[in-house]
Amino acid sequence: MDFARRTLLGQMARLTAGAALMPFSSLANAGINAQPSRREGDGSKRYAMLIDLRQCIGCQACTVSCHIENEAPLGSFRTIVSQYEVENEDTGDIATMMLPRLCNHCEVPPCVPVCPVQATYQREDGIVVVDNEACVGCAYCVQACPYDARFINEYTQTADKCTFCAHRLDVGLLPACVESCVGGARIIGDIRDPDSQISRMMAEHHDDLMVLKPEQGTSPHVFYLGMDERFVTRPLADPAIWDVRNSEGKEIGYEFAGH
Amino acid sequence: MSLLATEILTPRYELAWYPWAVQYFFMIAISYSALMLSLPGLVFRSERFMPLARLALLVAVTCTLVGPVALLADLHQPARFWHFYANPAPWSWMSIGAFLLPPYVVLTILYGYFAWRPALKARGAEGQDWDAKLARLLCLGNWQTPRLAVIVFGVLAALFACGIMVYTGAEIAILASRPLWNTHWLPVMFVLTGLIAASGLVMLLNRLMAGANSDVYRQGLRVILVAILAAAVVAATWFIQGITGYSPSVQAALESVRHNPDWTAIAVWALSAGVLLFLATVAMLRAPGWQRWAWLLGLLAIHMGWAFRWLVLMEVQTVAKNTAGYYHLAVEAGSYGLLGIIGTFGLWLAVLLIIDILVPWRDVNNARSATY
Repeated sequence: MDFARRTLLGQMARLTAGAALMPFSSLANAGINAQPSRREGDGSKRYAMLIDLRQCIGCQACTVSCHIENEAPLGSFRTIVSQYEVENEDTGDIATMMLPRLCNHCEVPPCVPVCPVQATYQREDGIVVVDNEACVGCAYCVQACPYDARFINEYTQTADKCTFCAHRLDVGLLPACVESCVGGARIIGDIRDPDSQISRMMAEHHDDLMVLKPEQGTSPHVFYLGMDERFVTRPLADPAIWDVRNSEGKEIGYEFAGH
Repeated sequence: MSLLATEILTPRYELAWYPWAVQYFFMIAISYSALMLSLPGLVFRSERFMPLARLALLVAVTCTLVGPVALLADLHQPARFWHFYANPAPWSWMSIGAFLLPPYVVLTILYGYFAWRPALKARGAEGQDWDAKLARLLCLGNWQTPRLAVIVFGVLAALFACGIMVYTGAEIAILASRPLWNTHWLPVMFVLTGLIAASGLVMLLNRLMAGANSDVYRQGLRVILVAILAAAVVAATWFIQGITGYSPSVQAALESVRHNPDWTAIAVWALSAGVLLFLATVAMLRAPGWQRWAWLLGLLAIHMGWAFRWLVLMEVQTVAKNTAGYYHLAVEAGSYGLLGIIGTFGLWLAVLLIIDILVPWRDVNNARSATY
């Protein structure tokens, strides 16, 4: 990707992060592929997460605790920390880039209007959830999510995703990933409450916040602080992990092969 | 590459749609295209198009019966299909499709039934052997087949067929998350490649089941010629929209596969198959003596229709949305893979043979000369 486009995306990322601070204006729900009305949850709140990448050490404690809390099948993740080895173009120095990924609980979630049976919906507090009793497992939402935040749970055969641990938030607990983060990199809270930690941090670092794939127009509500703007979209990186086949194309080892 | 980065940890994301989806999109596209091919003969009563209409109706009905089975199989919770009707979501293209599909299937079957009934009745009057008895049973009584029924159900089925064309295309094309899908041209290409495949299948069955009628070959070849030329214009327009940056989404689509040798091979294959189909069609239309080989061209046309859907629905899923590189598309041997593909075709063949045994579809005539 050329420099101009990267810079533009970086600026868009900042702009979009800013736009999320404005009051939520309700969306039309008449047209095809428009957002249906929200239901359940506390409408006076708007949950969001700020991830301070300067504090993330890539320990995957969030990945593990989420896995335990939410019982995702082996090999499927509601959250994970993507890791990249980045070489400095000038000095040749190597650094590691950590990028925790999870559902962005977008203001305009593209996964919601595609659901043909109203199984996936956005709560009044902005959290996007799936009713897996209603889900038919068509996987349309999995395709619609630009962030690969959804998967088909092989146990339930329905769509699965991060819920910001809504079941914990609703009883006053923190999400498993936030609770277990050793560096305190994940901050969750109500951005409608000006005194919440997330609101104060978003105000303080307003110009430095970025969101993933702003060009998709989804208005994500997971904000990254200390982000390298080259990672805002699909990074132009070498896919080292996929080199798991020998010259005959046979798989020579993958952690989850056979599951 | 200005970013010297190596991805060292990322999960493997499974493909969420299976080859069943390809089978549904293929079957339903052949169904609505064949239905359209049957209209000039059966609804507009043109004698010239009757041999084509007979075969097209057979193709339309058989594919309409099999397509929805494949669609159901692609759900991870197929037994919950009734949720589509209990929890409608009119803002979702898939939900709209769920409401269009059953009436389309019923109307197409009724259209076929009323077109076939006079011939069934004639067979039923022939004697006391088992197929005459069966034909009498299928006639559901001794009433006269209303002349209007074929026209009414044909036109209604055609209207719903347009709905199926729009929804199957729009359902995929609205997904901005995958730039290779996110283009207005995708629904158009689905229809054009559907017409190509349906004409190909009609030409193949013309050779196998209907005595290689030369009118059918000529008409089928003409449809393929028009469709392939239109498809070439559409593909070129899409490509130009991408390289000029006129459409950022198409530009992103091209960018996402530009450096991948597999996708280069796919582009070369698509171009060669298209050019070969075009040249062979032109040659056969100019030299009618060659048309006895048109069924072979039909096989190529069917291949194009199916492979386009495989490319769009399966190969595109191998382009990672967030992570670096591409996923490996491994087609399993079981019912989520090869068995599903072969099973769908096997089911179609079974339906075709059963209808061939039960229904004297070759004797279908247009309304004017039929014995009602």
